[in-house]
Amino acid sequence: MATEQPKPATVDVKMDLFEDDDEFEEFDIDQEWEAKKEGKEATQQWEDDWDDDDVNDDFSLQLKRELESNTEKK
Amino acid sequence: MASAYISMGEAHRRITDFLNRFSDAVSSQDAKSLCLIFSISSNSSFLLSLSDALITFQDASRVMRQADRYSQYADILLPLFRALQSYRLKNLVESYQAFEKAANAFTQEFRNWESAWALEALYVIAYETRILAERADRELASNGKTPEKLKGAGSFLMKVFGVLAGKGSKRVGALYVTCQLFKIYFKLGTVHLCKSVTRSIETARIFDFEEFPLRDKVTYMYYTGRLEVYNENFSAADHKLSYALSHCNPQKERNIRMILKYLIPVKLSIGILPKTSLLEKYNLTEYNNIVLALRRGDLRLLRCALQEHEDQFLRSGVYLVLEKLELQVYQRLLKKIYIIQKQKDQNKAHQIKLDLIVRALKWLEIDMDVDEVECIMSILIYKNFVKGYFAHKSKVVVLSKQDPFPRLTGKAVNS
Repeated sequence: MATEQPKPATVDVKMDLFEDDDEFEEFDIDQEWEAKKEGKEATQQWEDDWDDDDVNDDFSLQLKRELESNTEKK
Repeated sequence: MASAYISMGEAHRRITDFLNRFSDAVSSQDAKSLCLIFSISSNSSFLLSLSDALITFQDASRVMRQADRYSQYADILLPLFRALQSYRLKNLVESYQAFEKAANAFTQEFRNWESAWALEALYVIAYETRILAERADRELASNGKTPEKLKGAGSFLMKVFGVLAGKGSKRVGALYVTCQLFKIYFKLGTVHLCKSVTRSIETARIFDFEEFPLRDKVTYMYYTGRLEVYNENFSAADHKLSYALSHCNPQKERNIRMILKYLIPVKLSIGILPKTSLLEKYNLTEYNNIVLALRRGDLRLLRCALQEHEDQFLRSGVYLVLEKLELQVYQRLLKKIYIIQKQKDQNKAHQIKLDLIVRALKWLEIDMDVDEVECIMSILIYKNFVKGYFAHKSKVVVLSKQDPFPRLTGKAVNS
């Protein structure tokens, strides 16, 4: 079950690879850039109010059909 | 590549020229010139032509003895010459060993200089030490020997860190060396060693983190953010990776992508979804179906998406983080069942029969019996994904009438 996984596995995975796929690229020593404004684009690309009550998408409609057909069978 | 033929006279001239450049750079405190002098791996024509001269001339120490202003730096320059020569001849292990000696001697000089004028040169030295060690290790590995130079580079850079980490104007350089150390530790899989440097950076009262150069702060936050992901401290990881994201040079798209690769699972785990446009722009489409699974409450899709990209997620160490999204997906599915019930019968909607959940899961091709579903429901209630209680006898979840599905937006779930 998702909640009861032992923890250390994550770090072990890295051990035997001897490689880091996600090594950060060097910034040039004297490279400078405006601190705030550019990152903005990437920082505004998030949604925290997605958990709405809408059940009119395909998935929900199918779920509804499924639940109702089963109820009727009963 | 064979070195081009040059006469002894020409070789001598190039070597003298270089020695003058070095001693002038030191006496006029010209860090930029020193940077060029130490950038072995840059393959600059300046260094290549010197290397050829050194190979032709053989005994450069003779030239060095000709003047005090050269010979006083012999501890730096002689091993540097050996490093350049070996690098040119592609003896990378020898090149690394000699370079480390030169770097060590330079660091001693730097320690004795009162001001931090040569800091940029020390940056170049730290970088070159790491890069040369990596190449030396590759050479060792391909000859069937144990690669050990990168580990040695880590020990050496710890010494350099020690020179910088004290009080005073040199401290501003400590973060750059820290970032080089991170790259080494992450590569070697010895990330526990990061702790000794982060402690020194983060607990120091004498120096404000914000005073470090921006590029180093971004790199530092990226790596420490990854460490927080491994340790499952999601709110700290969110803070650090978000800092890296908002301050990263926008032209470094690959770096932004790497930050997102770790920030996305963190955000997902606190209930925040990336927009599709973000995933597409940075080609992180492996997250598409995971996001869709959360939106839908589609457990099957989540499991498929995890399986499909299992290797990738395991390699970057985010697999367990993503696996824990299951609870959120269950919550979403339950919420949908609740809303569908509510549309039919307002009054009874807050009672959900376990049977119904079993059926919904079966429809998703997930075989679970009533007992298993009961177990999941109690975890959901325990972890506050669902407010309500459980009527064991009648096999019904009774949802709270107020806010039965609390949002976890921004909060980490205690695991």
